[in-house]
Amino acid sequence: MTRTLPAYFALATLLVLTFSTTAPAHHNMSANFDFNDRVTVSGTLSKIDWRNPHIEFMVDTKSASGDAETWKYEGPAPSFFRERNVGKADFEGALGKQVTVEASRARDGSRWGLLRQITLPGDKLVSACPQNC
Amino acid sequence: MKRYIAIPLTAAALAAALMILPWPSHGQESDADKAKAAKAAAKAKNIARAIQENARQLTLFDRQGKVVKTFGDRALYNQPSISPDLTRVAVIRQDLENETADLWVIDIGTGAGTKLTRSKSREPARSPVWAPDSAWVAFAALRDSYDGIYRAKADGSGAEELLYKLPGAGAVPTDWSLDGKFINYYVSQLGDSILYALPLEGDRTPVVVTRSKSEIVAARLSPDSRFLGYRSNETGRNEVWVRAFDPANPSAPERKWQISDQGGLGMVWWRRDGRELYYFAADRGIMAVSVSTSPTLEFGKPKLLFKAPNSIPNGPNAAPGNLGSVSRDGEHVVFSLPPAPRLQQLTMFDRTGKVVRTIGQPALIGQPAFSPDGKKLAFVRNNIEAGNANIWTVDLETGNETQITNDSFPHNVPTWSPDGKHIAYQSNRGTYTSIYWRSSDGGAEEMLFRYTPGAGLQLSDFTPDGKYVMFDGGAILMAAPLTGSDPLTRKAVEVSREEYEVGFPRVSPDGRYLSYGSNEVKDRIEMFIRPFNMATATLAEEVPGRASKVQATKDGPGGGNVWRSDGKEVFYLRSEPGSDEVEVKSVELSAGPAIQPSEAKVLFKLRDAGGANTKFISPDGQRFVFAVREPAR
Repeated sequence: MTRTLPAYFALATLLVLTFSTTAPAHHNMSANFDFNDRVTVSGTLSKIDWRNPHIEFMVDTKSASGDAETWKYEGPAPSFFRERNVGKADFEGALGKQVTVEASRARDGSRWGLLRQITLPGDKLVSACPQNC
Repeated sequence: MKRYIAIPLTAAALAAALMILPWPSHGQESDADKAKAAKAAAKAKNIARAIQENARQLTLFDRQGKVVKTFGDRALYNQPSISPDLTRVAVIRQDLENETADLWVIDIGTGAGTKLTRSKSREPARSPVWAPDSAWVAFAALRDSYDGIYRAKADGSGAEELLYKLPGAGAVPTDWSLDGKFINYYVSQLGDSILYALPLEGDRTPVVVTRSKSEIVAARLSPDSRFLGYRSNETGRNEVWVRAFDPANPSAPERKWQISDQGGLGMVWWRRDGRELYYFAADRGIMAVSVSTSPTLEFGKPKLLFKAPNSIPNGPNAAPGNLGSVSRDGEHVVFSLPPAPRLQQLTMFDRTGKVVRTIGQPALIGQPAFSPDGKKLAFVRNNIEAGNANIWTVDLETGNETQITNDSFPHNVPTWSPDGKHIAYQSNRGTYTSIYWRSSDGGAEEMLFRYTPGAGLQLSDFTPDGKYVMFDGGAILMAAPLTGSDPLTRKAVEVSREEYEVGFPRVSPDGRYLSYGSNEVKDRIEMFIRPFNMATATLAEEVPGRASKVQATKDGPGGGNVWRSDGKEVFYLRSEPGSDEVEVKSVELSAGPAIQPSEAKVLFKLRDAGGANTKFISPDGQRFVFAVREPAR
């Protein structure tokens, strides 16, 4: 089991538990993304940034009119994937290959999404739920 | 479903221990078996202690605050809700051994409990609300990684039924309308709040009642379904409000009324006839407000019915309705009463663990932080009556105390500026967590840095030159430059942002090294020390003659990370899982440009002491201050 930073401070026992208020998440997901506006994109995984506070990756695809376009996604923190036995290597191995991403679209309508699930080559399904769902 | 009878607490704890502890085998035990047995024993011990210290008693009060009766066995209860027919209480009960939280219904008359759900580990049920006919209980639960609103028969028959699969996480059901048509729930995610009404007829598409950038939580419908009572912090303080509710006309002009004026925790409960509503006030009062609708809607001045026992939390982060609820007739209140809080005594130890002295009187107190000259302590004192936690200082020579903050916002991790003239602290207010400071004689508050909306941070240090304030947030290390006069324009430097988690940065007294926690090795948090450029608040990867990065601990610290003022020693705390014993440990750092840590050594051990993320060790490394818990009362 991954031991995350909150556990590092858990020994600080009662008083910190009483007074501490630090939240684990990084920013306001519901402000940026509409959970009811889901979009599914298939394309080539072109870039990943596997760092805290949340991973980011890009998928190159073509629009209905045939124009090239790039979608940017953000997912949970690397620790979220570690706890589910999914690693950076799984995504690195998919670079340049076909993936399918289901995401909640950005409220500003841009090609930016909050990852719900991604299907990697070999039909490996990686879900970001419940954190991002 | 099976009905359960009350089991005395000690027997339950013993049974838990017996179930976990392996029976002696006839063969030889391997080291792995011994380690496994030791781990199981530690877990059992920890569970027994947690139950002993935290188990709550369901207690029914009348309107005047007199205890009518206690019922059910002591257990880890949350969110008790009285049935409309006043015969039962729906409640969430935690099972520490199986790491589950399930919905139970407890009979007020007999104390017998009926378990309505069978949740898996990490898929807790939460937030029960009764149907108006008392036949069903609705609740939220995580099931196979998806959040949903469910209902179950209150008599335990039949399986739970999914009412609505939620698109996101964190919904909190708060009410089932008296006409049975709606379940109200709210989602308050990282600052945003949305109130929904879930129709139980038709296609069950939730209606957005309102959306707010300020917190709006714990909404409950009036009996005629025309008004919603809720808690909001839109004035900068938690207060109770009522607003008109018209789901058929979402574009109707907003009409709302502030009900409480001295702080309100919520939740709101309406009497069945709609003529009175109730809420928990910030001072732990159970308040009643008369409601008249003719000729116009009017709310009376809040009247105190009685004050809840001191063990009911009422601090800035208390969850509305978490430990109590008011009956539909307004005549009774049920609480799941925790044990009385144990006071703490600030106690100073020397390097051998010998008590040097105590400081002040026992109180709900903690987070002691030595001033840079070692002559004063800053600490947080929780005022249980007022429901706030403010920062104070005490002069260690005279014993004189000075109050630094004096408001109802949370204040955490008091951190002295390097010159000792200011005390910084973190505070979350509405959507933002920010770092503030005040002069060390208690001057006006000044914001130093405001972080990303909805994101948490943990203040940890200043650079020794006082030019940056250090913190972590989102598992990355950051430093905010204290430049310019407008804190809202200050941009934090990302000191370290990695694949693994890093946190709690502290700068060495000479500004040349940074110590921090990281799980980059073996997936366990250890303390690392790296060269640091104080002028730019960045890591210095390659500096001739200086070590790059060293791992200072190998046994998984649990806190501490405090430098001695000459930079030759760093301290940390460690505890075995399941143990209430804390080891105070030291790592000596070699002199010279290339820092080298020694093997860690135990200075002393102590029990029942609250540590802190503050600098609770004197600058000379000779004195250690802990908040030691008093015996249970």
